Amino acid sequence: MLAAAVAVPQAAPSQTPPPDADLEAAREQLKTSAQQIAKVKLPAATEPAFHFKA
Amino acid sequence: MAKFNFTEDIFFSSISELSAALAKKEFSAVELTHAFCDRLEKLGARYNALALSLRDTALRKAKDVDRDFKLDRVRSPLEGIPYGAKDLLAVKGKPTTWGTKAYAGQVFKEDAQVIDLLDKGGAILIGKLSMVELAGGGGNRYPSASATGACLNPWNRTYWSGGSSSGPGAATAAGLVTFSIGSETSGSILGPSAYCGITGLRPTYGLVSRRGAMALSWTLDKIGPMCRSAEDCALVLSVIAGNDYQDPGSAGKSFHYAPQFARKPDEITIGYAAVDFDESATPETRAGFQEALKLVKSLGMRMKEVEIPDFPYTALVTMIIAAEGGSNFEDFIRSGKVDQLIERRQAEGLKANLEIPAVDYLRAMRVRALVQQAFRDLFLDVDFLLAPTKPNIAWKLTDRLDMPATPPKSRGISGLIPAANLAGLPGLSLPCGFASGLPIAISFVGRPFYENQLIAVGKAFQSHTDWHRKRPPVTE
Repeated sequence: MLAAAVAVPQAAPSQTPPPDADLEAAREQLKTSAQQIAKVKLPAATEPAFHFKA
Repeated sequence: MAKFNFTEDIFFSSISELSAALAKKEFSAVELTHAFCDRLEKLGARYNALALSLRDTALRKAKDVDRDFKLDRVRSPLEGIPYGAKDLLAVKGKPTTWGTKAYAGQVFKEDAQVIDLLDKGGAILIGKLSMVELAGGGGNRYPSASATGACLNPWNRTYWSGGSSSGPGAATAAGLVTFSIGSETSGSILGPSAYCGITGLRPTYGLVSRRGAMALSWTLDKIGPMCRSAEDCALVLSVIAGNDYQDPGSAGKSFHYAPQFARKPDEITIGYAAVDFDESATPETRAGFQEALKLVKSLGMRMKEVEIPDFPYTALVTMIIAAEGGSNFEDFIRSGKVDQLIERRQAEGLKANLEIPAVDYLRAMRVRALVQQAFRDLFLDVDFLLAPTKPNIAWKLTDRLDMPATPPKSRGISGLIPAANLAGLPGLSLPCGFASGLPIAISFVGRPFYENQLIAVGKAFQSHTDWHRKRPPVTE
């Protein structure tokens, strides 16, 4: 029954409610943060601070 | 024994003062616990600071403590001292709501590790204290984002106590508890401490176990004391610090308060930026901050003007909390329970957290490694950084908290709260004056695991000031 796994839109795009303003504001904040972080020059060898220790 | 008259002086006593009175049997632990429970239950609601009274269990424990005192047995410097804990810490068999009605029925089978350690040390937990729902992990827009309502500042109830350790800030400031336990991911101990006029210590990441605490960000969360003085912070930290193999972030270190081993002032270099005490602060706070700086300069420590390295600290903290918090609360968000949060902005913020690309989080964590190295380099030249904890007084209850801050003209050390949290550094906030009737505070930030020296510097400052002894106008 692979066909059943195919997502079928429940409503046409024109009937989709407008994006929630709060959700959009949150997305925008994350996007802005990502853009600011992307400006930092990052040496290729820099590993993420996982197993974080002070 | 004649019935003791519990005056305001008792409710605003330090840990050492109360401990001495208990040892001298001026009153019993049961009497003291009764008095504090009465006060917390009566006045806690006045500030929306109380999440849950624990009178019954507190009185049972106070009886055990009195037995200890009769045998002249002292378990720790906190024996018999009444305290409160932020409602993100599990207390066995009692509701732990994390500040939201969505978790109103949540009950854990074990105490959080800090609660267990304090219990073993004889401290008396008299209540769970209010907090911003889910510690503001979705980015709360207003102070009212809490199951108990906006927590009111004891110095002026039209202002917020700060968050997310809102109840610990207000309850400690109003003398409803002798100390409290808060948590900080980025500013939640130091912020409310500054706004409420108390002394708050953010320990080095990994020094205090987070087992049994709500996780918001595994790599940023810390638990620490909110007290009346630097010395009280030391006494509490000496009980709650230590290795915990069940906390993956545990550093395997302990803390022993040893003021005798602290370096002398003339052996210490403080890094600061004059601009932080002037044009980077709001106009009403500048006179107070400049007085505080003058006083620090008079303590005999070497002072050196510095700037902290230029990184987008707020953006980094925002991204890391959002990604880790989104993962922590993924089931809660996907189940739709997230819509039970009081503030829609928080609910939508958490939903947006699930959309963060892995590369954005990883880049933030890679830049964080650079931040850590930059601070290691900075601490080759100075022992501590000094800055206003917050450049402003507390927010009004109606203020929006999510408005972008105006960047200062000169960088100075602004952004020290997110920066120091990213690097896992300890910080101590000390009241340093008032502006428009509300407290202001300075912070010292040190190298990792430098708490003993940090507290010594705080104690030196407080031995020359009495801001930490000021009491808000608490009336019934």
